[in-house]
Amino acid sequence: MISIYQSGLIAAFICIIIAFISLYQETDDLHRLILTDLTEIMALLLIALIATDLAEALILPGLVVMIAELMALAEIYLVKEGIQRKKNSSALDIEVMQTAPPILAGILVLYGIILSGFSGGAVAGLGIIFYSVCKGSDELFAQIETASGYAWVAWIAAFFIFLLLPGQWFFAVMIAGGAILIKVMAKFSLIGTMGGDPGV
Amino acid sequence: MTPEFIIGLGLILLGTVSVAWASPKDYLTRLINLEIPAFGLLLVMLSFDEMLALLTFIAVSTVSTFIFVRVIGKREGVN
Repeated sequence: MISIYQSGLIAAFICIIIAFISLYQETDDLHRLILTDLTEIMALLLIALIATDLAEALILPGLVVMIAELMALAEIYLVKEGIQRKKNSSALDIEVMQTAPPILAGILVLYGIILSGFSGGAVAGLGIIFYSVCKGSDELFAQIETASGYAWVAWIAAFFIFLLLPGQWFFAVMIAGGAILIKVMAKFSLIGTMGGDPGV
Repeated sequence: MTPEFIIGLGLILLGTVSVAWASPKDYLTRLINLEIPAFGLLLVMLSFDEMLALLTFIAVSTVSTFIFVRVIGKREGVN
C-alpha cells in the first residue's frame, strides 16, 4: 500500500515536471515570472509533505525568500523593459479604497498583534500595506526603519536571556515574539510605500 | 489519507495544468489560475495541521498578487 508521503511526492513530481516544461516553452519574461511563482508553490508542497514542526519552520523563511525574490525580479523586469510610471496616478482607483482603509487596517493590525510572532507580523504588515497603498505615504520610511532597528536589538537581547538566564525563558519568548512581530511588520509595510514616488 | 489531502493534491495537479497551459494565454488568466494550486497547497497544509505556515502563506500570497498586479498594470499601460 502506498503511503501518504509517497503519494504526495508522486503528485509533486508530476506538477514539477509540468511546470518546468511550460517554463521551458515560455518566451515572454512576465509569463516566466508568473510561472516562477508556480514552481515556488511546488517547492512549498514538497516541504509541507514532511508534516512536522520542521516543515513549518522551513516554510516561513521560504515564504520570505519567495516574496523578496519576487519583488526584486519584478523591479528588474520593469527596469529592463524600460517601463516608467507616469506621474499623478494612484495605484488603483476604487471607491472602497477611500472609505475602508482605517477599519480594515485596524482589524488586521489588531489580529496580527494577538497572533504575535512571525505570522502576526505578516498579518499586521498586510494591514499597514493596505492603509499606505490606499491613503498614500510620504515620510513613513525613517520611523519604520527606526522601529525595525529597535525590534532587532530586542530580538537579540531575548536570545541573550535564553543563553544567560534560562530560567527566564518565558520572558524571553515574549520579548522575541513581540520584536519579530514589529520587525516583520516593518519590512512588510515597506512594500506599501512602493506605489509612492516614480523612482521607487 | 484525509479527504483534505486528496482534494488538495487534486487541486494542485489540476491547477498546475491550468496555469501551465492557460486557455486565453494572457497574464491575468495565468494570475487568476495561480490561485487554484495555492488553494490546494492550503488544503494540504490544513491536513497536516500546519497552522502557522497556512496563515503566513495566506498573507504572503496576498502580497505577491499585489506585486504581480502592479507589474502587469504597468506592462499593459493601465497606470
